[in-house]
Amino acid sequence: MIPVLALLAGVVLGVVLDPTVPAALLPYLPIAVVAALDAVFGGVRAKLDGIFDDKQFVISFISNVLVAGVIVYLGDQLGVGGQLSTGVVVVLGVRIFGNVAAIRRHLFRA
Amino acid sequence: MSTGRGPERTYAPDFLTELFQNPLDPGYSDAAASRRAGRRPTGWRRSTIRVVTVITLAALGFLLAIAYRQTIEGEPGRAQARAGLVTQIKQRESEADQLTRRADELREDVNRQRDAALSGSDAARLRDLEAATGLGRVKGDGVVVRVADGPSEADAVTGVGGTNLGKVLDRDLQDIANALWSAGAEAVSINGQRLTATSTIRAAGGAILVDFRPVTGPYEVSAIGPGQLERRFRDSAAANLLRQVAAEHGMSFGVRGADDLTLPAASEPQLRYAVPSVSPSPSPSGAARSNSPASPGAGSSLSPSGGGR
Repeated sequence: MIPVLALLAGVVLGVVLDPTVPAALLPYLPIAVVAALDAVFGGVRAKLDGIFDDKQFVISFISNVLVAGVIVYLGDQLGVGGQLSTGVVVVLGVRIFGNVAAIRRHLFRA
Repeated sequence: MSTGRGPERTYAPDFLTELFQNPLDPGYSDAAASRRAGRRPTGWRRSTIRVVTVITLAALGFLLAIAYRQTIEGEPGRAQARAGLVTQIKQRESEADQLTRRADELREDVNRQRDAALSGSDAARLRDLEAATGLGRVKGDGVVVRVADGPSEADAVTGVGGTNLGKVLDRDLQDIANALWSAGAEAVSINGQRLTATSTIRAAGGAILVDFRPVTGPYEVSAIGPGQLERRFRDSAAANLLRQVAAEHGMSFGVRGADDLTLPAASEPQLRYAVPSVSPSPSPSGAARSNSPASPGAGSSLSPSGGGR
């Protein structure tokens, strides 16, 4: 319950404050969102598996976002930003799919 | 993560297999194992980590919200920029058209004034020269070559599709114009754009530019020339090639003889580097401005007989 409330509070904060994202960070926003979603689905699945761990969740969230950002940054510097972004999205996408499938099995037994 | 360092060492499956089989962070099961072993955080550590989790989730919500807003806000911005550019292009085009019309009017005016100022033979000679160089309107019998793009296989909405082999290229128009010249044409125009000695036919992006002005299909190349012009053009290599392309790829290609064609005048070429080797007329800065072309070879630029005005 509290996590959902916290999530909603964050959304409301984002809508109310309406911060302007610095132009330098704009390219990393989509990849950060995908990385964060991966951490969230991992956390939800762990919760349903009954092995959720706060510390693990926090660390995976922060490291996911940071590593994804760093990889894209490095790719941009090396001139392969687009390809590396694709790689990150593929890996994270596969993980999200796998975790969502596990969540689905938990919820619907199917 | 916890591959045993013991005597029976297990090798983790390769990365992709691991990724597909077990998408969950191994840290969760490690943490659960250590909890089962009885090592669970207690007291303030436990509550701190809870608070951090809540803060992380709030940060996540924040991230989602601003990412959503960025995406939503970016879209109209792009559309607006595009619409703005389109209107600018339209506006500049109409401005250019207006200026061209004005230039044509002024040219007519200049011609009239000049005819009035010149004696009959000089004016006639000048008119002949203008007609030959493409600077004067001409009329006569000739041919009209009409080419148009074949049906495109590309999707009309997405623009995705194979290359259209029946599309008219700048090369095709160049070939037609050259074939017409070599068949004896004395004046050629493409979609009402008269060709001169300095005319260019080239492609920029998907558009064909004649003298840096875009022309769109169907393309009509009109030429005035001798009576055999049509037959000679039909026999030319360019016509054969285009007939073949038309038969195979659906480009439309037609040649017809036409009587009483009128070809417009080309706009005045701007010579920036080339200067006449014999100075035919006095410099404009001269005190007495003479309008009559000096006789060829005349060294003096000031002809006293010129009608100064």
